[in-house]
Amino acid sequence: MKTIVDVNSVEKSYGSTQVIKHCSFKIYEGEIYGLLGINGAGKTTLMKMILGLQQIDRGCIYVLGKEAGSDTEYLSNIGSVIENPTFYEHLNAGELLSMHLSYMQKKADISEALHLVGLENADKKRISEYSLGMKQRLGLARAIIHHPKLLILDEPLNGLDPIAITEMRGLMRKLANEGMSILLSSHIIGEVRHTADRIGILSDGYIKQELSRCISSGDTSKKRSVCEFVVNGEQKSPVENLEDYVIGLMRRERI
Amino acid sequence: MNLGRLELMKIRLSTYLWAILGIFVSLLSLGILFLFIFQIEAGGSGTSEEAELFANWNGLLALTTALAFACFSILAAVIAAKVIISEYCGRNAVILLSYPVNRKAILGTKCLVVSVITTVSAFISNTLVIGIMYISAHIFGIMPQMDTEHFFFTVLFSGFFMGILSSAVGMIATGFGWKKRSVVATIVCSLLIVCVLVNCITISPSNIIWVMLAISVVFVIIANFVYHVLANGIEKMEV
Repeated sequence: MKTIVDVNSVEKSYGSTQVIKHCSFKIYEGEIYGLLGINGAGKTTLMKMILGLQQIDRGCIYVLGKEAGSDTEYLSNIGSVIENPTFYEHLNAGELLSMHLSYMQKKADISEALHLVGLENADKKRISEYSLGMKQRLGLARAIIHHPKLLILDEPLNGLDPIAITEMRGLMRKLANEGMSILLSSHIIGEVRHTADRIGILSDGYIKQELSRCISSGDTSKKRSVCEFVVNGEQKSPVENLEDYVIGLMRRERI
Repeated sequence: MNLGRLELMKIRLSTYLWAILGIFVSLLSLGILFLFIFQIEAGGSGTSEEAELFANWNGLLALTTALAFACFSILAAVIAAKVIISEYCGRNAVILLSYPVNRKAILGTKCLVVSVITTVSAFISNTLVIGIMYISAHIFGIMPQMDTEHFFFTVLFSGFFMGILSSAVGMIATGFGWKKRSVVATIVCSLLIVCVLVNCITISPSNIIWVMLAISVVFVIIANFVYHVLANGIEKMEV
């Protein structure tokens, strides 16, 4: 499997506080990698380091074979929604996406991207008139419009209603099936559980445990709804109850 | 890729065009008023020292140019605060720095957009205001006429240097605003610089071109230094 992101023994400190300590993980082509951690665990910092928005103190990150932060070229193959997306609110969705494509130096079908996120009827409306959920969808449209190879989503389902959440999960799966790799962060276990192929539990500044979805032969769509995860490592022990397992790991950090 | 066009898309240009029009109308009103000050003073208690400045075209040109400089310097700082400071110090920085475009190129384009808007609008506004004043004075026979060709070149050069100086002040103020990460600091800094420079511009009305040239050269050099400091800061910036 082709490695898209290779985070290798990365360290990052803010002043005297070390946020990321010897953190390593990989994301492969076409998979959804869920990053779970409590608030302040360093999920956003890791994502920003991948995007070159934060400098790496030690270690290195390779994205699509290029070292993160070394130049800006690799960014044209990344789409991202970091924190709450911001826009130039006097523009409409079409103008905003057209501007984004110009910066990304790519061409794409704007109406198709808006259709994918369910904003096809709002492309002429000013963004200042959008609801929070519509802005979240527009942020996602901006992240995927240029068909990136890596999609970075930092708590992307914030502000979405239950129907939109289900639609977004479906969209993420569709994009992953088309070969896009997705790094998804959240502190909500259910959000990652329903979407991710692998889960990295970020605790004490590093990936304390990595879990993989266990999919055996048969109907995968049915398996997804009842599936459990296995702990990666020499002994692939199954996780009976994901919530209890993850909360147990996170509590230890908080203590 | 046309970075300049993209920068213009981000700002509501019409807002600034209305501001420029407002400055132009205000300057024109004051300029017309200046034409009558000497007559009013002379007809009253005699010619005061202050009124001497309004008695000839060199004095009027220096006064009008100084006023225009004050207005356009503050306008430059306001536009720079919106285009540069609030972009890099606000939440837009995340998306702005995620683009596969050299950070210095984006900053350079932003500074160029601010400078071009300021310089062009200041030059056109100043030339038009003084032109209308001159034609009005000629029609109504208010002020003594002078060599039109010489006056024409003086107006053009002083207006051009004033535009350059205004954008340089805007850039310097942006440097301070960036250091403080504050839009307010940017505008206040431009106000402070303007307070000092307005007095320098009116120091020798008969040599206004040379005064403007000298101040412009000094401030363009300082602005260039500030730009490089800013560019290095943004190159290493973390968000």
